[in-house]
Amino acid sequence: MKELWESGKIKIFLSVLLVLVMLSLFTRNVENNVVSSSVNTLTYGLSKVSAAAKDKHTDGMSYDELKEEYDALYKANRELRARLVDYYDVKEENARLWKFYELKKEHKDYQFVPATALRRDSNDEFYSFTIDKGTSSDISTGDPVMGENGLIGYISEADANTARVATILSPQAGIGAVDKATKDTGIITGSAKFADKNRTMFAKLKSEHKVKKGDIITTTGVSGIYPKNLIIGEVEDIGYDTYDTSYYALVKPYEDIRKIKDVAVITSFDGQGEILRSTK
Amino acid sequence: MNERATGFVRYLAYAMEIILLYVLGSTPGLLPEIFGAKPTLLLCVALTAAIFEREIPAMIIGIVCGVLIDLGHSNSIGLFTIGLAIICFIVGYAANNLVVAKFTTFLLYAFVTVGGLFMLYYLFGFVWAGVSDHWDYFMNHLLSRMVQTFLLSIPIYFLNRFIYHMLGTDE
Repeated sequence: MKELWESGKIKIFLSVLLVLVMLSLFTRNVENNVVSSSVNTLTYGLSKVSAAAKDKHTDGMSYDELKEEYDALYKANRELRARLVDYYDVKEENARLWKFYELKKEHKDYQFVPATALRRDSNDEFYSFTIDKGTSSDISTGDPVMGENGLIGYISEADANTARVATILSPQAGIGAVDKATKDTGIITGSAKFADKNRTMFAKLKSEHKVKKGDIITTTGVSGIYPKNLIIGEVEDIGYDTYDTSYYALVKPYEDIRKIKDVAVITSFDGQGEILRSTK
Repeated sequence: MNERATGFVRYLAYAMEIILLYVLGSTPGLLPEIFGAKPTLLLCVALTAAIFEREIPAMIIGIVCGVLIDLGHSNSIGLFTIGLAIICFIVGYAANNLVVAKFTTFLLYAFVTVGGLFMLYYLFGFVWAGVSDHWDYFMNHLLSRMVQTFLLSIPIYFLNRFIYHMLGTDE
């Protein structure tokens, strides 16, 4: 032990530890800090390649099935070789945009940025994920994120090339919501108890609420953070939160948020930030 | 190969291992979720590499893995980076000077460190943060992740032992 103290290694160790503590405080308090942006940029390419490789990955297929598919693809490849080099890229992009076309038709004021889930972290129990678009595509923190059938979450952090999506399964969601049938209002907030079943909670309901199974829950749009009438999901059950001493409705989103891949970020819409601006 | 060259190749092997396991852990849908959780593979790498390396290299490997784990689920470095830096430094020193680095010692040390780090993560990230249903999270996710991480550290221990024996120095 004496040798360790005399060797100078302990000084290196303590210096490094001090730097790490300072970096920890810095990264915790500074949004879009240089440390996380640098690591995200470094790992961006890696994640892009692995996500693309996963797309081609076959889920539990046998050798014969794989061989059969390989032969068919080999044949098809020969036929397609003569076509344009970027055919598949265009087709894929088209398919992704098509999913959101109907939504765009209904809401002409929405500005969409289509994106794809790049990676999901195994440590996050609320299924947040990172998408392949960032501030360079006009995405900013707080922007709503849509799936094909409804609201998925919001942008919690964004850097130049990537952005992290916090889902409506997270307790941090805090989205103002309304029952379209009864006009009862509440807050959408996730819970560790329901997140792994792809359910969220329509919480803080009044004791005399009229919410019932099958009701559709949408955003209220009153804060100016989310557009009005974005579909969140359908009421599956009603419960009472003893911790919070209020009623809640268990909401089943129309998307499986745990597995969603293609999303669209709403970067601007009519009325965005109106309340925020008026309260300043 | 001389000592410097073998050392370089060994660290290159660790780097490849970290990249490979990072990709395995972070690619959506690549690893199956067992009881609602996946193992934290980079934690296994840091813990197993530390037992074969000296203090400073062990600490650096711990920091690299810790940064990747922390930034994987938040925007800041924290518990895993600092925790692994401390643990890997201590283990690197102990394995070279105080205890014999053998499999049984490793099992005991991996059990204590995996359990300890995840319990701290749970306490700071959930209990202290006031998440109301933190016990559900512990039972349905964290417990499974702890067990999986501990179990997977065993094959990774043998992989790193192989790397060390093939490319280690004769100190």
